[in-house]
Amino acid sequence: MVVALGFSVAIMLSIPAGITANQESMQRITENFSNTITTMQNEINKTATLIECSTTPSQGMQGFRFGGFYANETFIDETVMDVIRSIEGVKDVIPFLEKSSSENISETINTPFGSRTIYRPAYTIIGVCLNSSLTGNYSILPTNITAGENLSEGDSGYVLLSSNLTAYFGADIGDAVTVNGESFTVKGIFESTSQTRTVYMNITDAQRVTGLTGKISRLDVYVVDVSYATQVADTIRTTYPELYVTSYQDRLENLQNMQTMYSQTLNNAESSISQAQATATQLIVIAIAATSLIVFFVMLYSVRERTKEIGILKAIGFSNWNVMSQFMLEGVLIGLIGGVAGVIIGTIAAPFLSALLLPQLNLFGGTQRTQRPFQTTYPNIIGSQSSSAATLNPQFILLALGVAALLGALGSLYPSWRASRTSPMEALRYE
Amino acid sequence: MSDLVLETEKLDKIYNMSGRQIRALSDVNLKVKKGEFVSVMGPSGSGKTTLLNILGCLDKPTYGKVILDGLDVTKMPEKELYKIRRYKIGFVFQTFNLLPYLSAIENVELPMEGTGKSKEEKGKRARELLKLVGLSERENHKPHRLSAGEQQRVAIARALANNPTIILADEPTGNLDSKTGYEIVRLLGKLNIEQGTTIVMVTHDSHKAALASRMLFLSDGKLLAKEKQGTHLLKKELMCPYCGREIQPDDTFCPHCGGKLTDKEGE
Repeated sequence: MVVALGFSVAIMLSIPAGITANQESMQRITENFSNTITTMQNEINKTATLIECSTTPSQGMQGFRFGGFYANETFIDETVMDVIRSIEGVKDVIPFLEKSSSENISETINTPFGSRTIYRPAYTIIGVCLNSSLTGNYSILPTNITAGENLSEGDSGYVLLSSNLTAYFGADIGDAVTVNGESFTVKGIFESTSQTRTVYMNITDAQRVTGLTGKISRLDVYVVDVSYATQVADTIRTTYPELYVTSYQDRLENLQNMQTMYSQTLNNAESSISQAQATATQLIVIAIAATSLIVFFVMLYSVRERTKEIGILKAIGFSNWNVMSQFMLEGVLIGLIGGVAGVIIGTIAAPFLSALLLPQLNLFGGTQRTQRPFQTTYPNIIGSQSSSAATLNPQFILLALGVAALLGALGSLYPSWRASRTSPMEALRYE
Repeated sequence: MSDLVLETEKLDKIYNMSGRQIRALSDVNLKVKKGEFVSVMGPSGSGKTTLLNILGCLDKPTYGKVILDGLDVTKMPEKELYKIRRYKIGFVFQTFNLLPYLSAIENVELPMEGTGKSKEEKGKRARELLKLVGLSERENHKPHRLSAGEQQRVAIARALANNPTIILADEPTGNLDSKTGYEIVRLLGKLNIEQGTTIVMVTHDSHKAALASRMLFLSDGKLLAKEKQGTHLLKKELMCPYCGREIQPDDTFCPHCGGKLTDKEGE
């Protein structure tokens, strides 16, 4: 009886806890989302004059790179720089060369079908133009140097390592590292904002070690004024169809698309939550009904069993109210015992029960994987999305105990009333 | 105002049993004075228990009135009646009717629940009463560890808890052996003398009925006109019925003339 009561109370306890957890994660996601949008908006506004030209789809639009498999790396001749620089409205053209290292690392990943080992390039070499007029005006190099110094004009034979690579190379400031077979001196270490493993070096060094002399993979084109942006972007697009060109306008559009997509996802999630809540409400109603019914039948049985006792109590002067309150108190006690059992069961089982009874919030997992627009560009903003682990807080437990006691009172209402109305004479005759 | 504590006027009780009317009591006019020990005798089925239930406000008469302490209790609603049962009446049952899971002292305290008495007061009163019925040593025993006679003593102590106007005893010796039965009746007699408690006892045993101060006879629901004085009356007045000299309440034989004071038949 107590166990049955306990389970009812546990359900009453777990479901709201699950709902709260879902709502909390929902709120968290919504907050993250609006923060992301703001951040991106600021970012886009700051770089309004920037037109990104890349030989591969821009990172923001890139698909999910499953298991470290990089799409074909393609390159373009650096002579395009001169052509682009001659377009009206162009202020500066900054070349980059990005190439995966020839060395691979193995990595074990867990998939739903078991763990497997994959190989991916150990790091990415980024060659940058160390022209001081460019490095001084634009954010080309990493800014958050944690040790040593940043690269400066004319630095040849030096590299800048992302902090997550020091262990791989086993190198510190001033040490020599081997990149694609050539030796470099570590000049500085920077804290990588994303999880990417990168080695920065002079673009000419990069071209040499990668064997891509005269080649580049990416261009940052700056226009003198935002009004030129669309026009310049269009010109580049028609001249070099092989380049993926992203202007201020495009980025804004992308942002809007993302916004729409995320709003939809959130709406879906919200409707799934409210659906879950409707189901949960039904379950709670059932649990409440079960609890009061259990108390009801137990008390009804108890009243029958103790008819004679009721007769005695009334014969020696107990009022109807005395008898009724006696039985009501018992009902409340049964409710409370059930409540305590429920809290114990609930504390252990709440995460499982709520997982069993409520659909999990699965916003960005599953088939939507390839549509994760923020994951590659802003991996840390959204973070781990939805973990609706139901936990019980003390207020909740107190509330549950209160409800259990209340249901005990409710369930024993009729049996107690019946007890109080028993005729003492007949009750005394009862055996 | 007379010294009557209990009076019935033309009491009638008619039961309707599967269409047949059974008249359990007819035209019962009973008068009990303060301090009396009245026994009502009659064979089974004569309406003794019905009468006692009506007197004890557990049942209502079909016609007639019951006047207890000057109050017509037949007209009282249930929410007033429990007070009468609690404060004016002490019930002693044939089957003792103690609560099995409560100790002797807790059973005695039970009628005092909700009277506003403190726990200490209740305990003190219950202890006094258990001493009065001679069970001081056994106050923490549960009913199943007490003998039948001891259980009935606890029941009597419980009946006295709220110092009632009248004790109604329904075949108090019915479930006891003869010797214990006499002890219980003597205990009632002692209470009647020492505490001045008014007692109405119903029994079918003429020897025990004779121990009261006044014997009434009930037959087929009618109270017979003849009344008898019991031996108890003489004891109560502390006078030997044979030589007229002073006696003590506990005496079985007159210390002066050696006359037998208590009906010992059946013992």
